[in-house]
Amino acid sequence: MATNLIPALDPAPLPGPTWLFHLLWVVTFTIHLLFVNSVLGGTVLAALLGTNQAVHRASAKLFVEVNSWAISFAITFGIAPLLFLQVLFGRFFYTATILVAWWWLGLLGLLTVGYYLNYVAKFRLRAGKGAGAVLVVEAVCFLAVAMIQVLVNLLHLQPERWERVADATWAAFADPTFVPRYLHFLLAAVALAGAILAWAAVRRAERGGDQQEARGMAGIGIRAALVATILQLVDGFWLLFALPEGVLKAYMRSGAASMVPLALGILAGVVLLTVLAGISDPLAQGTRVRRAAELIVGAMLVMVVTRHQLRELYLATARANEQLVIAPQWGIVVTFLLVFVLGVAVTVFALVRAAKDTPAPGETAA
Amino acid sequence: MDYPIWNLAMGGGVLIGMVAIAHVIVSHFAVGGGIAMAVAETVAVRRGDAALRQLCRRTSLMLILISTVFGAISGVGIWVTIGLVQPVATSALIHNFVWAWATEWVFFILEVATALAYYATWDRVRPRTHLLLIWLYALAAYMSLVIIQGIIAFMLTPGRWVETHSFWDGFFNPSYLPGLVLRTGMALFLAGSYMTLAALRESDREARARLVRFLALFQVVGALVAYGGYRWWEVALPGSVRALFLGASPLLASLAGTRHLLLWALAAYLLLALFALLLPRLQRWPVTVLAMLVAFTSFGGYERLREGSRKPFVIRDVMFSNGVLVSEIAALNERGILSKAVWAAREEDGTAQGKGRAVFRAQCASCHTQNGYLSIRRIVAPIDADMIVGILESMRDDGQTYTTGAILHEGHAVTQGLNYPFMPPFVGTEEEMQALAAYLLTLKPATVAEVSHGN
Repeated sequence: MATNLIPALDPAPLPGPTWLFHLLWVVTFTIHLLFVNSVLGGTVLAALLGTNQAVHRASAKLFVEVNSWAISFAITFGIAPLLFLQVLFGRFFYTATILVAWWWLGLLGLLTVGYYLNYVAKFRLRAGKGAGAVLVVEAVCFLAVAMIQVLVNLLHLQPERWERVADATWAAFADPTFVPRYLHFLLAAVALAGAILAWAAVRRAERGGDQQEARGMAGIGIRAALVATILQLVDGFWLLFALPEGVLKAYMRSGAASMVPLALGILAGVVLLTVLAGISDPLAQGTRVRRAAELIVGAMLVMVVTRHQLRELYLATARANEQLVIAPQWGIVVTFLLVFVLGVAVTVFALVRAAKDTPAPGETAA
Repeated sequence: MDYPIWNLAMGGGVLIGMVAIAHVIVSHFAVGGGIAMAVAETVAVRRGDAALRQLCRRTSLMLILISTVFGAISGVGIWVTIGLVQPVATSALIHNFVWAWATEWVFFILEVATALAYYATWDRVRPRTHLLLIWLYALAAYMSLVIIQGIIAFMLTPGRWVETHSFWDGFFNPSYLPGLVLRTGMALFLAGSYMTLAALRESDREARARLVRFLALFQVVGALVAYGGYRWWEVALPGSVRALFLGASPLLASLAGTRHLLLWALAAYLLLALFALLLPRLQRWPVTVLAMLVAFTSFGGYERLREGSRKPFVIRDVMFSNGVLVSEIAALNERGILSKAVWAAREEDGTAQGKGRAVFRAQCASCHTQNGYLSIRRIVAPIDADMIVGILESMRDDGQTYTTGAILHEGHAVTQGLNYPFMPPFVGTEEEMQALAAYLLTLKPATVAEVSHGN
């Protein structure tokens, strides 16, 4: 019954080789996730810390300032993987979103409110006012956005659950992997945000900022990353063993291509734990703090690959008879790749110049 | 059509329209604002005009808040809503234009990065660096318009793509350039209009008048360019599309009315802009707000006209607004619509009415709700049983006309000769048509009380 509900493959051919879409999806989704995790984890930590104590306030202020850039980039970098996902898995993705249409549409409202609240918090903190309540509501918005994303993602992977969800939308939450998967992303976000806070504090101290405050911020960041990583190791195995039996078996049998990224991810987690546990004075162990941040980013990258491989296994049966026709539009593919390289180069150039440029002595600033 | 159908009382098309109009107004402001601010700051630096510089500074926060926040989210919002309401059309567009969208996305990154950097670097960098940022922003924002216009115009005038299926034929379609000129003009006058509101906060009277006059120039030029683009756009449309809203007896009176509204609004806007140009000292905020409302009316009118001109298609000559492809009419008449519309087929309960409800969901529900927007209950209320069958048979005949190709003129479907030129044809078997008629009968007031049916 369920497979009959899978919409027909779009009759139009794929306008490029599938490997290119997969590669671009992994690359762009990884960048998207870096910004998303920074925003989600940063906002949650800022909300938990509040703005009453000086060190907590400084930490929250840093997250809010980072967010005003990172939210924009998270949304913008989300566009590309959304495009490539629709090309590769459109019929599964559209169906999942329609089944939970109000949730999916509500995501836009939550994102808008969360984003504007970040500006409210930013201007209140700059004006010396408190922003604790604003940050709590902002965090709730972003937590809900993440929950909806996990919900839709799980649903598009499992056509066999569609009919039940069509009859009762709440059935969308009845997935044994929902909670561990949601926690998996949330904990990764908190770990990354903790590392960003610690690293920013180290840099601030190096540049002659308030040492006491920087030490406090770095300590908070390291503790947050450490606790999140410990919980992540437990949750990671919970998620792995909560996978549907068929998917888990297929995954375990799928050889080095799947096992290497998974092993690297677990290894990165374990090494990260030892690195974080070994940081007693973050300001004096700047290199170690940076290593922790690098390990978190590395673990995220391999987990994105794992996530993508799991999708293929989840959908293997549903796509077994998929007869893809490929007719690459090489002219526009090359145009895109050229614009991509040039566009990234110009963006980096503009940002570096904006960050480093200062008026000469006697010269008026813009 | 073979996707689940989202029940929305207001109608999916209305939701798309609301999100899309909000987005296009904001995104065109972002495009025009980039150009206007780049020119304004360049002039400010060259002339040492502090008031003009202050205007750019004041506007830059709004550019960030509107462009990178609301513009970005509402842009994603269009994806979300069209995916929910028109998944088949969205998929078709994605398969043809994914690389164009991906290219546009690169410009989005540059746009967001330079907008944020521009706002963050006031008083921090040399003027030339600041100018570089705003000019890069203006370029990126305009390029996003250059690209998206190809896809929007394609939906109305796919041109030679229908035969060649070539990306470039679809992208550089007959209404591409005229539409781009029109949108460029509108982007300029929307930005000029908003920035005038910001300019009125200048306390120095002389400086305020100077700023108002400077911005009025943008608005006058923008309005004239938009008018020229609009006229060109009309000429570029196939005759069958023009006949919908042009001529002595246009086929769709409401669209003809919309056309008049947008042109009169544009003329009124031009007058208001000329007033600001010639008498800048008399400019006050109520006049500026009025000008903005007139600008929105004109632009909104154009968008409504462009969307309405596609009827009964979502991609003209290719796909109807209910997701049925012109090329699959014959096959679906043979196999039945429910052979493809598997989600709608879940509504079947073994009765003729149940099957009819499923057919309604498959073919009609993308435009008609039961009780809300374009309520089918209200439409069938005054019609008797024979007439319902007669209408459906005529609509089925329209489908036959499509399949014979007799409807084509220079590659375009000339719909005005059809029985129901603005409706997709009925597609399906005789049994499905009778079942739909039986279901529609249950919606008539006299029978509603007697027959139980779900939504």
